[in-house]
Amino acid sequence: MIEIEHLQKTYQRGDGTPVMALQDVSCVIADGEFVTIRGASGTGKSTLMNIIGCLDTPTAGAYRLSGEDVSGYSDQQRSRVRNQRIGFIFQSFNLLARTTATENVELPSLYRGESVDRDKARALLARVGLADRSEHFIAELSGGEQQRVAIARALMNDPPLLLADEPTGNLDSASGEQIMALLTELHAEGRTIVLVTHDEEVAAYAQRELLIRDGMIATDRAQPALHAVRNAG
Amino acid sequence: MPTFATIRLALRTLWRNPLRTVLMMLGVAIGVASLTTLTSVGEATKRQTLAEFKNMVGTFDVVNISPGGGRTRGMPSLTTVEPTLKFTDATAIAQQVPGVAQVAEVQNAFDIDVKYRENTTASAMYGISANWLQMHSYFVAAGNLISPDDIQSLARIAVIGPDVQRDLFPNEDPVGKQIRIGNVPFQVKGVLESRGAGPGGSSLDNIVFIPVTTASKRLFNRDYLTTITAQLKDPDDPQPVIEAITSLLRERHGIVPPGEDDFTLSNPRAAAMQVSDVRSTLTTILAGTAAIATLIGGTVIMGLMLVAVSERRREIGVRRAVGATRGDVLRQFLVEAALVSALGGLVGVSLGVGMAVLLAVQRALVPVIVWPTVGAALLLSIAIGLVFGLQPAWKAARIDPIDALRS
Repeated sequence: MIEIEHLQKTYQRGDGTPVMALQDVSCVIADGEFVTIRGASGTGKSTLMNIIGCLDTPTAGAYRLSGEDVSGYSDQQRSRVRNQRIGFIFQSFNLLARTTATENVELPSLYRGESVDRDKARALLARVGLADRSEHFIAELSGGEQQRVAIARALMNDPPLLLADEPTGNLDSASGEQIMALLTELHAEGRTIVLVTHDEEVAAYAQRELLIRDGMIATDRAQPALHAVRNAG
Repeated sequence: MPTFATIRLALRTLWRNPLRTVLMMLGVAIGVASLTTLTSVGEATKRQTLAEFKNMVGTFDVVNISPGGGRTRGMPSLTTVEPTLKFTDATAIAQQVPGVAQVAEVQNAFDIDVKYRENTTASAMYGISANWLQMHSYFVAAGNLISPDDIQSLARIAVIGPDVQRDLFPNEDPVGKQIRIGNVPFQVKGVLESRGAGPGGSSLDNIVFIPVTTASKRLFNRDYLTTITAQLKDPDDPQPVIEAITSLLRERHGIVPPGEDDFTLSNPRAAAMQVSDVRSTLTTILAGTAAIATLIGGTVIMGLMLVAVSERRREIGVRRAVGATRGDVLRQFLVEAALVSALGGLVGVSLGVGMAVLLAVQRALVPVIVWPTVGAALLLSIAIGLVFGLQPAWKAARIDPIDALRS
C-alpha cells in the first residue's frame, strides 16, 4: 500500500530560484490497484513517480510504502527498496545496450546480493514472449521487444509494485497495445501498477486515474466501466 | 553486490570495449615493461661486473694493506711503493688482530724478463707466501702450487700463468724445466689454470708466482712488502678488523696524531660495490623515469575513465534504478580501473621479462629477473589503478539517477 500525505517537492533551478514541482499531494493506492497518474508535461507527475519509486526524496510530507515511512531513507536504504519492492518500466526502455537480454533481466538480482538465477531470467523472457531472443544483444531487438525485456527485468526480484513511466511512448500502436496487455495481465496476477502518462488512451487501461495539475491532484476518479470492458476484451 | 560478481562485471565491460581497454592498459604496460627491463638488465650488468671483479682479485673476504697513505695510484709494485710495510708487520697482524683468519705476504713487480732457452717474455712477478694462491682461488692445471716448505727453504721454484707457458713453452711441458728470472735460475713447479680477462679486458694470465722469501732474498733483495692480505673471519663485517689493523700499524710505525697513516687499507668487496654502484646510479635514474611513465599511465586511465563515466551515465542510472547503491557504482568503476591497470601491469611484466632476457642474451650476460621489483611493479600498477580510478569512480557514484535516466 502506498500512502502519501501532504507531499511537497521544491527544486533549485540552475540560477538558484526555487521551483515547486509538487505543492501538496495526498493519496492512497491500495495493494493490487492499477492507477494512472496523468497530466501534461511539467505538471509534476514525473516528480511524483520518482518519489514513489524511491529515486527522489520529498522536501516535505510523508510517504509510506507498506506502512513503512521511506521518505527519510538513506541512499542505501532507498536502493534496497528499489531493488526488492519496485520494478521500473521506462519510456526509453533503459536497457544496457552492449549486453544480452538475459543479462539485462538478471541485473536486479545482481544487486540483491544473491547468486544470479539465469534460469529464472530465461523463464521471465519466455513469459514476455522472448524465449528465442534471450541471448540477443539489445541493439538487435525491436522497440517492442526491448520494452518486453524491460518488463521481464522489472519482474526479476518479484516486486509487488510496478512503476511504468510512459511505457508506450516510444512504440508504434501495435507494440504499445502488446505492452499494455502484458501490464493488464500482470495486474490481474495481483501486482500493484502505477502508470504515468499524458495519453488518455493508455490511461484508460487503469481502474483509477489521478489527474495532476500544477503540482496537485486535480481529480481522482475510478474508471470501473472501461476497465471491465478491457478485461472482458 | 558480491566482490566476485563485481570483478566479473568489470572484466566483461573491459572485454566488450577492447579499444578503450587497450588504450587504458598501454601507459601502465609500457611503464612496467621499462621498469622490469631496466632493473633486470641493471642487475645482470651489476652481477657481471662483480663477477669480473671477483675473478680479478680472487676473493672478496679480505682486507688488503698496501704501503703509502693513499698517495700511490694503481697497482702497487716494488718500484712504486714506499718501503714502510715489513714482513714483521704481517706477522704482528696475524698474531694480534682477532678478526683475522690468516695473513698472506706479497712482494711484486711488473715487466720482469723471464727466459727459457731462446724464448723471452715479460710478465708480472709475484713473490707470495704459500697461502696466497689458495686464498685467491688459484688452481694448477699441471704440477703443484707453492708449499710452506718452498717458503722455508727459499726454493727457486716458480708457478707460471698460461700466457707465460704459451710464450716460453709453445711445444713442451713446462713442469720441471728451468727458466731464468732476471739472471736467477728457477724450476717450473706448476702451471695455473686460466683466469681469463679482468674487468679492463687485460689478461690475468701473464704472471709468475715465486716464494716471497726467495723473491726478497734471492731476486729483488728488498725487505719490504707491496701488499699484506689479511683474510677475514667474518667477511660481512670488515670494519673492526680495519680499525684494529690501522691502530696496530700506526703504533708499530710510531705514528701519532696528527700524523697520517703511511699505509692504506682496502676491502675489495667495498671497492667492487663502489664500481657497480656508479653503474646502478644510472639504472636507478632510468628506473625512476620508468616509474614516472607508469604514473603517467595512471593519468591516462583517469582521463579515459572520466570519459567513460560521462558516456555511461545512462548505464549508471539504470543500475541505480534497479537497486545499485552509490557504493556499488563506486566499487564497479574502481575495480574496473584497478583491473585494467593490473592487466596492463601483467602485460608490462611479460614484455619486460622478455626484453630483459633478450637484451641479456644479446649482451652475453646471464639473464637476471629481479622478482621483488617485478612484484612491486605489479602492486604499483594495481595501486595506480585504485588511486587514479578513485576520482572517476567517485564522479560515477555521485551521478543523480533521475538525471542519468532522463538523458
